Amino acid sequence: MSFEPNLVGFLCTWCSYTGADLAGTARVKYPPNLKVIRVMCSGRVDPSFILAALAKGADGVLVCGCHPGDCHYVEGNYKCQRRLPITRRLVGEMGIDVRRVRLEWVSASEGKRFGEVVNDFTEQVRALGPLRLQEWGFDRDAADAELAHEGGAHA
Amino acid sequence: MPKVDITVDGRPISVEEGSYVLQAAEALGIDIPTLCFFKYVKPYAACRICVVEARDRRGRTRIVTACNYPASEGIEILTRTPRVVAARRLNLEMLMSRCASMPVLNDLAAKLGIEKPRWGTGTDTCILCGLCVRVCDEIVGAQAIGFASRGAARYVTTPFEVDSEACILCGACAALCPTGHIRMEEAGGREVVHSEITLGPNAAIAVPFRQAVPNAPRIDPEFCVHFRTGGCKVCAAVCPKECISHDDADRTEEFGVGTVVLATGYADLDPAPLKQYGYGRLPNVITSMEFERMNNAAGSTGGRILTERGEEPRTIAILHCIGSRDEDHHPYCSRVCCMYALKFAHLVKEKTSAEVYQLYIDMRAFGKGYEEFFHRILGEGVNVIRGKAAEVVRAGEDCEEGTLLVRCEDTLISKFREIPVDMVVLCTALEAHGDAKEVARRFGISVGADGWFIERHPKLGPVSTTTDGVFLAGGCQSPKDIPDAVAQGSGAAAQAMSLMTRGEVEMDGAYAVIDEEICSGCRLCNDLCPYGAIGFVAERKVSSVNPALCKACGTCAAGCPSGAIRALHFADEQIFAEIEGILS
Amino acid sequence: MQPISSPAELAELRSGIIAARDPNHIWVQLCAGTGCLACGCEPVAAAFRQHIHDQGLEGVVHLKLTGCHGFCERGPLVVIQPQGVFYQRITPEDVGAIVEQTVKHGRVVTKLLYRDPASKTRVEKAEEIPFYKKQVRLVLRSNGLLDPTSLDDYIALGGYAALAKALTMTPEGIVDEVKRSKLRGRGGGGFPTGLKWETCRRAKGEPKYVICNADEGDPGAFMDRSVLEGNPHSVIEGMIIGAYAIGSHEGYVYVRHEYPLAVKHLSIALGQAREAGLLGSDILGSGFGFDIGVSRGGGAFVCGESTALMASLEGKVGEPRAKYVHTVEHGLWDKPSNLNNVETWANIPLIVEHGADWFASIGTEGSKGTKVFALTGKISNTGLVEVPMGITLREILHDIGGGVPGRKKFKAVQTGGPSGGTLIVETRDARIVHSLEEAGEIAPGETVTSLLDLPVDFDELTKAGSMMGSGGMIVMDQDSCMVDVARYFIHFLIEESCGKCLPCREGLRKLHEILERITKGQGEPEDIATLQEIADTLIDTSLCQLGGSAPNPVLSTLRYFRDEYDAHIREKRCPAGVCKDLVGYAVTEACVGDAKCAKVCPTGAISGGPRSLQVIDQAKCIQCDACYQVCTFDAIARVKRDRAEEVQAAAKAAWRPVKERGRAEARA
Repeated sequence: MSFEPNLVGFLCTWCSYTGADLAGTARVKYPPNLKVIRVMCSGRVDPSFILAALAKGADGVLVCGCHPGDCHYVEGNYKCQRRLPITRRLVGEMGIDVRRVRLEWVSASEGKRFGEVVNDFTEQVRALGPLRLQEWGFDRDAADAELAHEGGAHA
Repeated sequence: MPKVDITVDGRPISVEEGSYVLQAAEALGIDIPTLCFFKYVKPYAACRICVVEARDRRGRTRIVTACNYPASEGIEILTRTPRVVAARRLNLEMLMSRCASMPVLNDLAAKLGIEKPRWGTGTDTCILCGLCVRVCDEIVGAQAIGFASRGAARYVTTPFEVDSEACILCGACAALCPTGHIRMEEAGGREVVHSEITLGPNAAIAVPFRQAVPNAPRIDPEFCVHFRTGGCKVCAAVCPKECISHDDADRTEEFGVGTVVLATGYADLDPAPLKQYGYGRLPNVITSMEFERMNNAAGSTGGRILTERGEEPRTIAILHCIGSRDEDHHPYCSRVCCMYALKFAHLVKEKTSAEVYQLYIDMRAFGKGYEEFFHRILGEGVNVIRGKAAEVVRAGEDCEEGTLLVRCEDTLISKFREIPVDMVVLCTALEAHGDAKEVARRFGISVGADGWFIERHPKLGPVSTTTDGVFLAGGCQSPKDIPDAVAQGSGAAAQAMSLMTRGEVEMDGAYAVIDEEICSGCRLCNDLCPYGAIGFVAERKVSSVNPALCKACGTCAAGCPSGAIRALHFADEQIFAEIEGILS
Repeated sequence: MQPISSPAELAELRSGIIAARDPNHIWVQLCAGTGCLACGCEPVAAAFRQHIHDQGLEGVVHLKLTGCHGFCERGPLVVIQPQGVFYQRITPEDVGAIVEQTVKHGRVVTKLLYRDPASKTRVEKAEEIPFYKKQVRLVLRSNGLLDPTSLDDYIALGGYAALAKALTMTPEGIVDEVKRSKLRGRGGGGFPTGLKWETCRRAKGEPKYVICNADEGDPGAFMDRSVLEGNPHSVIEGMIIGAYAIGSHEGYVYVRHEYPLAVKHLSIALGQAREAGLLGSDILGSGFGFDIGVSRGGGAFVCGESTALMASLEGKVGEPRAKYVHTVEHGLWDKPSNLNNVETWANIPLIVEHGADWFASIGTEGSKGTKVFALTGKISNTGLVEVPMGITLREILHDIGGGVPGRKKFKAVQTGGPSGGTLIVETRDARIVHSLEEAGEIAPGETVTSLLDLPVDFDELTKAGSMMGSGGMIVMDQDSCMVDVARYFIHFLIEESCGKCLPCREGLRKLHEILERITKGQGEPEDIATLQEIADTLIDTSLCQLGGSAPNPVLSTLRYFRDEYDAHIREKRCPAGVCKDLVGYAVTEACVGDAKCAKVCPTGAISGGPRSLQVIDQAKCIQCDACYQVCTFDAIARVKRDRAEEVQAAAKAAWRPVKERGRAEARA
């Protein structure tokens, strides 16, 4: 039995989430590894979401948004496009392979492409192997507590 | 102008002083024959056929020309005295001795009671009425033709007898020429036999085609003389209701709306790049739309199916899937072609005795009653060949000139076939308008790779779009036939109506809020918001979101360095909880 | 030159010019009009200059090249002033004698004087010559006296005095004066000039134009030309007065391009007038402004018609338009325009200067003043004559014109230009009298002898079936065929018709076709009726007066010379022997055998040898008329073609050599 990566996807509701929906209605086959979280816009994807996902056991994070110029909110995807490289550098400095975090543009009509992207990303992460943060001494509970604290601060 | 009282043949009439006697006679229904008169150019009084006797108040009688004799108080006009009739006759006889026997002269001769012109007929086809010269000068304003020479040697020509650069090819001279002395000819002597290829009447002002909606004439500025020379405006002078304005221009109007139904339709694929079918290169290869126009009873052939030579074709091939279901063009099925192709076959069978060949990939008779129609066509003796046409070529010398060969593989019998035909109809693909992407961007909706607008949900939201209040109807969303387009249009209208009748829009619960306790007033979020929904409250030194403007994208929430912004329904802890949930 | 700023200054200038001229100086007035130029006056002028120079007479003897003196038949002409000796037909070789004898010693060179053919005496002074004696020269008064390129000459002769006087009058006063003078338009129509001015003055619209019609197109007519060439300032002065009376500030002279000398002299005169303050913004200090432009026409006959002329002035094709709305109301550029002929304008200064009553005292009841005629054709004294209205044709033709040269007889005179009429001036046979009776032209039994005693004025000429026209007068003798004359004029009109309106264009073509057929002996009896019918329609329905008067040559010849038409049509005979297809040439017994005819015959058809009867081979004869022209014994007869052989046979039978003939005649 080969390694089945645990993947989290942030999909914008207008393009990518609809594209994913289309992939479903079009009966496009793609691996079940990706767990989708719907956001209104790729611009909503806070870097901390990516870090949290990795911290909580995800082996890879995929962010999908509208193609440049097509954003339902005019320019949300551009904001995302500028945030993601920084996030990836941060992730890299933590010693995590940057290939585990990926940004893709998928439009509402690209159901097939969505399948291909998921497929490709799954295979890539599968090849990289499990992240196993705990094995490096990452204390998940402590991290949880810290996050909870931060969350409390937010509130 | 003051009115004056005159009489014409004893009948009194009150007319404007200085208006011409011919108009007064016309108003009284008294016919005065003319040759060189045309209402919209200045009277020329050259033919002297419209002569009448005028008696002024002093009792002096003289012969005058009705076309330009001004009415003055008390004049008596006599249009049929022996002196007048004799003068008209003699003038016409003299003209006929110069000119060839032509309808315009013969008719007038009959009207004036000349049985046989005394001096026989000549050979000239120009009666020197000057209408052409005057219309070119006064109406068109081009002054491209004029009279040359003097006296009996006078003739109409272009300056220095060469093709005139001043001529704008409006054809007004030829249109007004009463004898056909002036003709429009196509340079190079090409024969124009298939006028419906140009689709529709070619006057500068015309109803674009019969049954057009709205059924009103319009002016084509490219061909209208007025827009080229500043003259003419005859149409405006003719129109009794003064409906025509040359000053109207295209203008952009702005108005606010709550809902929009996009029904921008589809475009026809131009088959010319598909060189194998020879469209635009071979005669009698036409598109389905052109064939449809030809079949229209109001079309230029009056609904008859004719080849370019004006003959009835003996064989017609109808080629399906031109550009549809084609990896090199449009992979999708255009949906409507199979059925209209079958309808074409039926029309051909009904109107002519021609053989019909249908070349198809698959026969998609999916709708209600469609399959039955297919079977009916089969019963009418239409040849149905399963196999996409490979190419259309000119037939070799063993065939009659003008014959075309359609090459295909009949996949049912696995044979290569060559079918000689007189006419080929190409069922071209339906495709999205070239500017569909631009339109989609304007309305904030999505557009597919093929250019069709994308509905909110293929099953659950087939008429709405990703933008609230924008709906889709008809061919802009995907190829569809009439019932489908009507159904979708009705749906879109109903949705739009429901929004409008409600009068107000219920706001989504999702929007961003700022915790003023945490907000440091850095104003980063102000610039992030594309809708300008976040403003800075100076007295409290914090930013604040206007929920009515906020579209809930959450970009601000993700960008707030102090985490002061909370995107309702997509709050951080909700996302974190989701992450937690899916990873546990 | 300093502009003249008041009438007083003008008078001062005039007396200054006159005072500066030494009465002892001698003036050689050499005619340099077009006729004399053609006769060779330029070498004569050069010879005069040379002789004056050689004799050291410069400063004492002045050569003056003047305008046309009128007596073109005898050109080149010279008048030596102050003696007033009139020399004619002088050559450069004669100049030496004139300078030596007349100029230096006041002696007359008799052989260069005019010899009166009637009295057979030499005449010294111009005014004693019969040609001038009966004339009343008003318009042409100064033509022979002044140098047309000299404003001083014109002023010295009282020029622009009328203008100075006019500027002291009210415009209405001038119009009234012209009205009272009963001056009628000299261009041909004879419309009362004063009335025209008044209508134009009252017409609404600004600006108003005054136009001078100098588009003289009639063949053989050169009245306007001579005035413009010889005395351009008189026309300019007339126009300024007219403009002042009408209220116009802009004028044009439309002159034929074929009149280069007229254009030149006119342009010089206009320049001088502008410089002298006689044209421009403040004429003679009166505050009235007016200027004149020159427009040159391409020589289309129809451009003499007022509407066609204005179209041409506007730069359009010279075609007439209907005159239901008059040009005095809507003319040039649709503005009120007053158009008058050169001669009319030249009459204006006279009327203003001498008064309407003086002018009205000349002429007849309906036609006042004088008229200039260009006398041409078969007449001894061709030239330009100015006669009072009402003078008879006989006086013009016989007394002034000197009769037909040679032993030929008068036949007809054609007046009014190509579309004028041909008038009978000789006794006709009974048939014509009969047809005139039929037409109701004369009372039954009355004998028409001739129209020689017809008083020449607008109304009489029109009544007689011709018209005044611009003043062409072509005299024809017995050798003219009236059908051929009609055909000739109709042909001219076909060429000159603008072709706009159908009756003129097609009707003239048809008339010509029929006339040509008649002259070829292919006429039918019904042709006369057809000619009449077409002519009537032309008059009734033509657009302008060119077409309206075009049938006149046909109608007038039909009226007076119906017998000639009948001879052509019924007998296939041309009485005058002009129509080549009908005429044959035969040698009569009058032949003296000098064989001159045989020498000129281009086809060698005449044979016979010297001192014997000549015989024309009818097969070779091409009817060129050369033998007829050359025979001094009238021994060549133009006869009906098929009778030529017969006439020759009879001549052969009767012919005797000259020697014997002399004796026989002596015996008789």
